[in-house]
Amino acid sequence: MSATPSDQQREYSDALRAYIARPNEQALRRAYEMGRGALSNGTGVLGIAALHHQALKEVIPSLSPEIEEALLIKRAEEVFIESLMPFEMSHRAFREAIGVLRRMNERIEEEAKRIAHALHEEAGGLLASTHLALEELARDLSPRGSERLSLVKRLLDQMDEQLRQLAHEIRPTVLDDLGLLPALNFLADGMSKRSGVAITVEGSTEGRLPTAVETTLYRNVQEALNNVIRHAQAGKVAVIVTREARAVRCSVRDDGVGFEVSTVTAAHGERGLGHVGMRERLESLHGTLLITSIPGQGAELLMYIPLEG
Amino acid sequence: MRLEDHVDIASDADVMAARQKGRTLAAEVGFSPTDQAMLAAVITELARNIVDYAGRGELLFHAIEGDGRRGIAVIARDHGPGIPNIKEALQTSYSVAGGLGLGLRGVKGLMDSLDIVSVPGKGTTVTARKWQS
Repeated sequence: MSATPSDQQREYSDALRAYIARPNEQALRRAYEMGRGALSNGTGVLGIAALHHQALKEVIPSLSPEIEEALLIKRAEEVFIESLMPFEMSHRAFREAIGVLRRMNERIEEEAKRIAHALHEEAGGLLASTHLALEELARDLSPRGSERLSLVKRLLDQMDEQLRQLAHEIRPTVLDDLGLLPALNFLADGMSKRSGVAITVEGSTEGRLPTAVETTLYRNVQEALNNVIRHAQAGKVAVIVTREARAVRCSVRDDGVGFEVSTVTAAHGERGLGHVGMRERLESLHGTLLITSIPGQGAELLMYIPLEG
Repeated sequence: MRLEDHVDIASDADVMAARQKGRTLAAEVGFSPTDQAMLAAVITELARNIVDYAGRGELLFHAIEGDGRRGIAVIARDHGPGIPNIKEALQTSYSVAGGLGLGLRGVKGLMDSLDIVSVPGKGTTVTARKWQS
């Protein structure tokens, strides 16, 4: 449907005029379909309100003076509600989608916790038992045998370290135990050491944030830092967390090569997909993501999450 | 007072009759004008689905009672191709950003319950219920 604004106005005014003069289903249906069209063509809810207002101005002077004011108001409202109903449907579906998204994220994090725990506690526990068994064995071995056994122990230690690292990346216990800033510091240290990029973390959350908010910010910073390390050729990255009265803000700024923002916000390509994931996590908390970059002058990723209550 | 009604749906013109009958029954059951408008929207979307996907079918309206409350059931029935993937048709988690939340998804949000039975090649029956608050 490609109705022009004046077509829309005429259609709505006609429906309103017809319904006020004589209530009928056809006029209501027209108003409903108008709203449906307005939803898909981007006219929006405020556009409908403007159409309604203009239609009233056109229609009222032409009405028979016998129509009572109360009746006029009631009928005009019935038409207005019909035109808003598609927006109400869309709004409800959207709210439900946000809830589904949030529950899905929570399930994923629960699963990550379970896997991290299994790796760290269970596999780690088995490794510890293996160490003990080897100690026993070492007592019965010749000096040369012990030496070869110590090589096996060093390999086991490396395995232990890698398991620990993996468990941490899947779900950092420091995030659950100590909160966002300590977890980000820990993350930044590890990533700095591995990549050689200097990463600083500053700011404060002024106490703990809701778990979902902490997890979302942690995951998004993790992903942003990964992107910077892989693509930005940056020397320095600054992560800044700021607590506002009813929101938390987190920025990740690098001094790398930058990029055309339009090329990464598209929903395709490896970097694009990363941003889709970030956006989805944020949307489930009614948060927003702002990406600014100038090629050659670094980039900044700004996340903003409102806090309830 | 008639406690049920029925409309054959084969074209867009029938949608009007269905809205009218549904609204009348809703008013008799005691639904507010806003709830009546919601039911009209639900009827429009269900009837539109019948016309678009099955060509023809029918809508039935019943007054219902339970737990001391009154309500209305809207049943849309057709013998069309069926819905290949009901979950997808209802899924709001991902596709909502692309879709507008109308159709079955919109119906689900306006009603208290929605049941869909669809057999590929045999047809679809959608039962939507709304209770008075």
